[in-house]
Parts: sequence; structure tokens; C-alpha cells
Amino acid sequence: MLPEQQDILWTFLTMMFTLFAGFAFGNVIQHCRAREDVNTTLWGGIFGAFFLVSFWQTSHMFGLNQQEQIGFFFKNQLLTTLVLLLVWGLFFKSQKIENQSPPLIRAFFFWTTVSTLLAGYTNWLPQQRSDPPPKGGVVIGGDLTMEEFVEMGRVIVYGAKQVAGQKSIGKGQCPLCHTFDPGDNIGRCPNLFGVEERSHTRIKEDRYVNLPVKIGETEPASGVVKGAPDKIDPAYARGGDATLNGEDYLRESLMCPSCYVVEGYGKDGDTKSPMPAINKPPIGLNKIELNAVIAWLQSKDTPGEFAAVTVPLPTGDEGQAEAAPAEDEGDKPVFVTGEEPVDQIINTLGCPLCHTIPGVEGAMGTLGPVLHEKTNAPNRIKDPNYKGSAKNTKDYVKESILDPSAFVVFNEEAGEPFPDGLMPTTFSQQLSVKALDKLVDFISQTEAPPQG
Amino acid sequence: MLGNDTRKNGLFSLGLVLAFALYFLPGLSSDAYAKEAYAGQAFAEEAFAKEVMAEEAVEGEAEPEIEWGQDVFYKDWEGNPLKGPVSGPPAPDLGEGDYNNYEFAPSRIIIWIANQQHLYFGSFVLAVPIFCMLIEFIGIRTKESDPIMSEKYDRLAYDLMKVSLTAYSWTAILGGILLFTFITLFPGFFKYMAGIFRPVMHVYALMFLAESGVLYVYYYGWDKMKNDPFLKWVHCSLSVLLNLIGTVLMYLANSWATFMQAPGGIDEQGRFLGNIWHSIHSTLWNPVGVHRILGNIVFGGGIVGAYAAYHYLTAKTEEERAHYDWVCYVAMFIAIFGLIPLPFAGYWLMKEVYAFRQQMGITLMGGIMAWLFIIQAVMIGLLFFGANSYLHNSMSRVKGSHRYMKYCKYMVLLLIVAFTTWMTPHTIVMTPAELKAMGGAQHPIVGHFGVMSAKNTAVNMMITCTILCFLLYQRANKKINVPWATVGNCWIAAIFVGASINIIFLGVYGYFLPANQRVGLSVPQVSSTLTTLFAGTAINISMFKDSESYGDIQWGTQSKVGTYAIFLLAISFTWLMGLMGYIRSAVRLFWHVTEVVRDNSVDAYTLTIGEAGKILTFNTLFVWVQFVVVFWVASLAAKKTTEKAPAAVPVPAQQQQ
Repeated sequence: MLPEQQDILWTFLTMMFTLFAGFAFGNVIQHCRAREDVNTTLWGGIFGAFFLVSFWQTSHMFGLNQQEQIGFFFKNQLLTTLVLLLVWGLFFKSQKIENQSPPLIRAFFFWTTVSTLLAGYTNWLPQQRSDPPPKGGVVIGGDLTMEEFVEMGRVIVYGAKQVAGQKSIGKGQCPLCHTFDPGDNIGRCPNLFGVEERSHTRIKEDRYVNLPVKIGETEPASGVVKGAPDKIDPAYARGGDATLNGEDYLRESLMCPSCYVVEGYGKDGDTKSPMPAINKPPIGLNKIELNAVIAWLQSKDTPGEFAAVTVPLPTGDEGQAEAAPAEDEGDKPVFVTGEEPVDQIINTLGCPLCHTIPGVEGAMGTLGPVLHEKTNAPNRIKDPNYKGSAKNTKDYVKESILDPSAFVVFNEEAGEPFPDGLMPTTFSQQLSVKALDKLVDFISQTEAPPQG
Repeated sequence: MLGNDTRKNGLFSLGLVLAFALYFLPGLSSDAYAKEAYAGQAFAEEAFAKEVMAEEAVEGEAEPEIEWGQDVFYKDWEGNPLKGPVSGPPAPDLGEGDYNNYEFAPSRIIIWIANQQHLYFGSFVLAVPIFCMLIEFIGIRTKESDPIMSEKYDRLAYDLMKVSLTAYSWTAILGGILLFTFITLFPGFFKYMAGIFRPVMHVYALMFLAESGVLYVYYYGWDKMKNDPFLKWVHCSLSVLLNLIGTVLMYLANSWATFMQAPGGIDEQGRFLGNIWHSIHSTLWNPVGVHRILGNIVFGGGIVGAYAAYHYLTAKTEEERAHYDWVCYVAMFIAIFGLIPLPFAGYWLMKEVYAFRQQMGITLMGGIMAWLFIIQAVMIGLLFFGANSYLHNSMSRVKGSHRYMKYCKYMVLLLIVAFTTWMTPHTIVMTPAELKAMGGAQHPIVGHFGVMSAKNTAVNMMITCTILCFLLYQRANKKINVPWATVGNCWIAAIFVGASINIIFLGVYGYFLPANQRVGLSVPQVSSTLTTLFAGTAINISMFKDSESYGDIQWGTQSKVGTYAIFLLAISFTWLMGLMGYIRSAVRLFWHVTEVVRDNSVDAYTLTIGEAGKILTFNTLFVWVQFVVVFWVASLAAKKTTEKAPAAVPVPAQQQQ
């Protein structure tokens, strides 16, 4: 549900509680008419009032958004219903209460309690919303350094957001099955530590040459000709001579996982790999992204050292030209490397559309909070409603960028919180670590301009 | 069990075993050959098509430029993608204009609710004829030996059908709402689906007509065909026909959902390749079908059980209480019998999901959907607790049960241990500080219980425990007199002890094997559990021959805890069914049809668990409000009948002196 919409569950329950109040009113009137010793006016008035209050509460709930609804429901309507139940019990105090309340009502409350507890349980667990990856692939805005290119590959594999306790997963979804550190093995797919070194030796092994298809033969599922870099799909081909090398092996493994299956990790006698071809849906990396992943695979075991990387750096023209059909140009995601000036990063990401940011020309947006984080962030961390994990300003800013829903700022002027869910949650896919640090450093220092 | 007549026990159990075997086992055994067989068939079709086209080309009667596409799923004998003539447009690249929405809720939530409500009712109306078929059959078979019980069975089947009839109209209305919701909110996607499944949709509508016709003859002809033995058999046969048509209906509708999840019969661009059977019979069609049949039985049992439990609580006379207590038991018996094989059908479905795309399986079990499976584990645990609680409470009203009641506490202890293991997560999301304090993503001790080896062991032990509990319930009021009683008891003990040892040993052994080999251990574990079910039940029932009764079952003395356990089961079934449906559908992530038609709507994101949980709770409560209305409408007719014939309530055989 969108933040401004009503919550279906609470709206339904408020209506049911009003129905119950109406039922209780009718039930009491019925009993009053059957028993002469009961003051009909008094009890009818009390239960009529309960019904009217409950009805008003339900009407009021329709005017609230879901954040407000949950508060109102538990603080007001549930309380009203519980008091109503209590008074209903008092009405039957001289009788056997359990025989007066129809089983339908008991069943209704049992049903509602168990079901709502289950909904509560699901809300108690860690919440993670998964947005679809952007259509198309990465577009680069200018020439990259190799370090940035490798970082792009790492982000495709892992995503920029690190979640403690579990491996974060990027667009490539590799960590779902592969591991990358020595000794780490989840048993689904081969550990890729040392894969750069293996890529050179593997292509000479008999098993690679002959199984499951021979070099020069077409692997049926992908249509890739094994061991023939000159016959690879031109959209992904490296160009140059046709001699098979380690880079080709890595590219082939990504585009044709069944061209070679590591022993013990395949199906049908290790002839078929369970891995999807990552240049096709659902992952569908484009050439730049696929090369970035290869570059990262070639350099990941030697941090800061890129001598083993053989894939060429993409040029800006290449990226623009190949990655985007014309009609989707506006939707293409952006990858910010961190080399850009900070105001360019901010403008590229579109922050000024919603935020007012001191020091950034034209950043006068009002849909989101004004960014005076040097002064605001410490106060928000201390806010009793703050449930995030940041302990200082920089952590808070970083958390707000990567997980905007961790704390939703209250809009004092409007008298309600800023809309949750409006801010994109995809920045982790668009920022390199360097760019993120740069952005965090800048925003952490923003403050209100001096008066006068 | 249902009385003091052992033949009835055997007959009823046997009927359910046969029904289970009829639906489940052929599916399992045929699956191993299905793909090869269809690959063969498809290969032959392709060859034939090529031959015909070549001939036509030679004769100059056809354009030789027909385009051939490669199937995204089907393969030929050599493992190459099957080719077929392109017979439809490519999948559309949907844009803003292909989606409509209302302001009050996202379209995706609206279609989810519409779909789920229809499925709940559809499930109920498909399940009830299965019950009626079995109950009516038992009624016919017991007519000579126990006419009163026979009448009672017959009346129960009729009453269930009466409720089902109202629910049937309701289902059709909900189906209409679903269709209009689909067309109006997702017109672009509907157009694509209709383009491929057009003939199936028409057949579906016609089958609905056939289902309605048979249903009306079956229901309205009940009294007229009741007294003549031949006509009664004809009437019972109609219920078989009703179930067959219902099953076909369900399978046809399933094909749309399974195509969306794991498509077949189209190429990578989504172009239809001319063979509708390939699109219908995609890889998940059979396991989803079997899973749904079992799920329907369980869900239907839950609804009938709750219906009877409610009437039990409102009953004014002893006869009524006895009757509804008995109905509660029958419904729970059916539900639990469907519940026991359900996880195995689930395993089969997951196996096929992994076979289709390992990535999809991992997204379910280890990716973004993994927490939903933890919730599923909790729900299944809740179900087994509810079922065992009902059996334990029910046992207390059976004379002679004191011999077995003392074991209940140990069974509860076993269930707690297994349940705790079953719901232990593999890894959890933590703050860096928590991660550091624990020394890693997995707890050094508790983490070992989060892996599949432990979980498979736990769930198999829970099922085995429930089976044992059921066997004890069956024999609670019986004094076994067969000469081989000791041998029989030893066999039952040996089967259960042996199965438990095997399940636990394989579970421990799994820790020493790599993951790809470890997966294979689930098969012998499940086989052990099934052995206790089939062999244990068979021996147990055989031992009832010439048994003496310790006394009648005191129908009408069910405790309130036992009655509310039935309510708990009904809620859990409903919620769990919604949850699993959501998981199955949501694993497509941002695809309408996996990897072929992308969901480009604003609602293409995957909900947080909390959001999904609230909708599940809403769906559960909303459908039960509708069930109450439907039961109330059905009861209006019942009151009319009661007024006409007030004295015709049969007394259970156990209570006759």
C-alpha cells in the first residue's frame, strides 16, 4: 500500500468492530425486551452510544492514512471495543456470560486475535522490500578508471548495500550460489576464489576441451560455440585475435554456464549447469556490465592491483551507444563513480527535486525534509521513534540514503510525517563506495545558512 | 474410530488411502517419465510438422518462409531446445498505458485479494464433492450392516453438498470479479495471456457448464435416487463424475498460473509456438495440481470442521452435540489425512522449481522469500500442534484411552523439540554489533539447527509423531484380540522406532555430505515417514479384527479446548494457504511471465513481509466472513426442512443400547 492510502486490514477491522457494536446493541435490546426487570432505556442508551462512537471511529478511520490508522485503531477503536465487551459482560453479570455471548462472537474474536497475531509476527520480522532492477543496463557518463570499472563489477555482484549477517546481493545475483572467499562454501556453486588463476589453466585441461561439449561445438541451450571467442555474440565479443584466453573462459562461463561444468556442481552427470546465462533474462547484463564483472573477478583476489585485468575499459561513447534503445533513454539508471564533483553527483541522482540542500544551486525541493544534517542528524538519532542503527551523523546520512524508510522525518509544517516510500531505494545500485562516501561527507556538513 | 465397528474404520481409512494414492502416487511415478515422454512426443510432432511443411513447400502450396522459434522449456532428445512454428506475436513490452489503477489501493493488491478470495471458495467447492463421494460411498457400503449409521453418512454428505451449492454460486461470482479485475487493471497482460490461452479459456467455461449440470442433478436428484439401490450407485457415480470435471477445471485454471511461473510452449520473445498443450503442460503443472488437490482436501476439511465446531458450540440438544462432534471428527480426520502427504507434494513442487531454475528455488529458500518459509514453518508447526491437540483432547472422551494418554506428554515434548528445530532460521538479519557478538552470521551452536538436514529431520519426526498419535487414537477404545497381537504390536513399534532411527541417522549423516548429495537424503527420510503411515495404519487396522470395545465413544463430550483447536486449524489452514499462494506467485518477482513478460507497473516491487502478512490476515478474515454468510444462507433452507420433519435426527450407533 502507498503511504497515503488506507490500510486494508485496519479499515476492514474497524468496520467489523462497528458491526459488532451494532450486534451488541441489538442483542441487549432483545434481552431487555425479554426481561422485565432490566432498565431498557439505560442499557439501550449505553450500547447505542457505544455503537455511535464506534461508527464515528470507523468514519474517522476513512480519513486517515495507514500510519495514522494503526495508531488510531489500537489507541481508540480497540479500546472502545474492549470496554464495550466489558460492559456487555456487566450487563449479563447475573447470568452465565459464556452462554449469553453467541459462539459466533467468540469465534469472531478468536479468529481476529489469531489472524492479527500472525500479521503482527510478520511485521516483527526484518522488513525488506525488493524493487525491480532498472530496465536496460548501466550507462556510464564518462571515461572510467580501472578502479571504478572494477568497483562497478563488485556492485553488480554484491550491490552497494551491505547487510550485516547476510551476503548482500546485487543485480547479478551471484552470491545466491557462489562464494568468493577462501574456505567459504555454501555448496550450491563453486567457490570463485582464485578464479582468475584457474581461468588460464582450465582451458588447457582435457575435461574442458572435451566435456560436456568439445571445443568448437555449439552448446545447445545457449547457442554459444565453445572455446571460440571470435564466434561469440558480437554484442558481447571482445574483438581482437581468436586465441582462447582466461578472459574468454570467464566470459564463456557467464554467457554459457553449461559449456563447462565444474565437477560435482552440475546436473545429469555434470553436463548441465543450473546457472542461468547472465546476458539473458532474468539477469540480462549488457556488455559493459558483463565486462565489469569479469574485471572484478580478475582483480578481486589482489585488492588495489589491476594488472591481471585484461578487459578493456569502456568508453563513454561505447556505453551510451550500446546500452540503451532510444525510447528508454530517460529511464536508464545512472552509475555514479565518485570522480564527479559532489554537486554533479547530487544533481545526477535527482536529490534537488525533493530536498532543499544548502550549497547546491537550485536544490529547493520541498517534498522531502530540508537537509541541515549537521544539526538535524544528531537530534534524530536521539528521537524516541528512531529505530535505525546509526550512532553518528555520517552513519545516519548513509542509512538515510541507502534505506530511506529507516526513519521517516516528521514534517512540522504539515503536521504529519513526510511520505514514506517516495525516496528511491535504488541508490545502492547507483553509487560506488567512493561516490557514497563523498556524498555522505558533504551532506553531513550541511546546515542552515547563517541568519542575516 | 467412527464407531465401535471395526469394518467402518477400515473402510473409511482405506477409502482415504485409495483417494490419496489415486491422486498423488500416479503423479509422482509419472513425473519421472513425463518429461522424456513429452520430449519424445514433442520431437515427433516437430518432425511431423517439418515433414508436412517440406511437402507443402515442394507442392508450392505453402509459403516456405515460416519462422521457427526455440521453446524456452521443452527440449528434444538431444537436449536441444525444441523448435516450433512461430504462431503468435512476441510478448509486449508493457508500458504505463497497459495498467489501470484505483486510488484507494494498488492494482496488484486488488488482484491478489480478488484472486485469493476466488481460490479459497474454489478450493472449498472442489473439496466438498471429494468428501461427499467418500462419505456417500461409505454410507452405501454400510447400509446393510448399520442402516442408522448409513443414513447418518448419507445425510452428512447431503448437508455438505447443500452448503457447497450456495458456495458454488458464490465462487462463480468471485470468479467473475477476478476476471473483470484482471481485464480492467491489467489489460495489456491479459491480452497476451488470452492470445495464448484463448481455446483453454473457452474449454474452461464449457467445463464449468458441465460441472454445474452434474452438480444440480447430483444434489437435486439426491432424494429421488436414494431408495433404489441401483439408482443410488448411479448417484454415487455422479459424484465421481463431478470430481473428475472439477479436477479438470482446476487443472485448466492452474495452467495459467504455472505458465506464468515457468512458461513453456513459447520462445524467448514470448511468441507462441503453435502447441497449446506445451503451454498448458509446463513443468510445474503436475506438482501444483497435486499440491492443490491435497490442499483443497485439507482446507475443505478445515472449513467443514469449523462449521461443525461452531454448530457444536451452539447445539441445544445432546443429539445435536453428538452429531456435530462426530462431524468435527470426520472433517478433521479428512483434513489431517490430506495434511500428512501435503509436505511431500510440496517437496515435489520445489524439486521441479529447482529443476526449472535453480535461481528461482534459491530465491525461495535462501533469497528474499526465505523469511516467508520461516513463517510457513511456524504455520506448519502450528497445524501439527493443533492436530495433535485435537487428537489428545478427543482421546479423553474415548473409554480405554487411559492406556495411551500417558504417552501424550512425550509426544508433545517431541513436537516442541522438532518445532523449535523446524523454525530455527539459517541466518538472520543483524546489526554489525550483534554480528560481532555472535562471531558470525550463524550461531556456533544454534546455527547447526538452521540447515536443511536438521529441518528435514524435524518435520519428518513431527509427521511421524502425528501418525503415531492417530494410530493410538484409532485403537484407544479397542481391546485387541487377534492371536498375533503381540507380533503386530512389535511390528508397529519396530516400524516407528526404525523409521525414527533412520530419519535421525540420515539427518546427522547429511552434515557430512556436500549439499548436492545431501538433498538426496530427503527421499529415504520421506520414505521412512510414509512407511509408518501406510504400513503402520495397515497393521493397526488389521489388528482390530474381533476386537472388543472398552465402551462407546462419548460423542458430544468434546472439550472446549478440542473445539477451539479445530478453529485454530481452520484459521491456520486458511492463512497458510494464502501464504503459500503468495510465495508461489511472488517468486516471479518483477515478471508477469518469468523471463518473458516483464511487469513494468508501479507495483512490480516485492512487498515487505509485514505488508504481505497484513493482506494475508485480511484475506483470511474476509473469506471467513463470506463463509459465515454462505453457511447462514444454507441454514435457512435447513430450518425449513427441520420444521417439516422434526423427529428425523438419527442417533449415532455408538449411543444406541
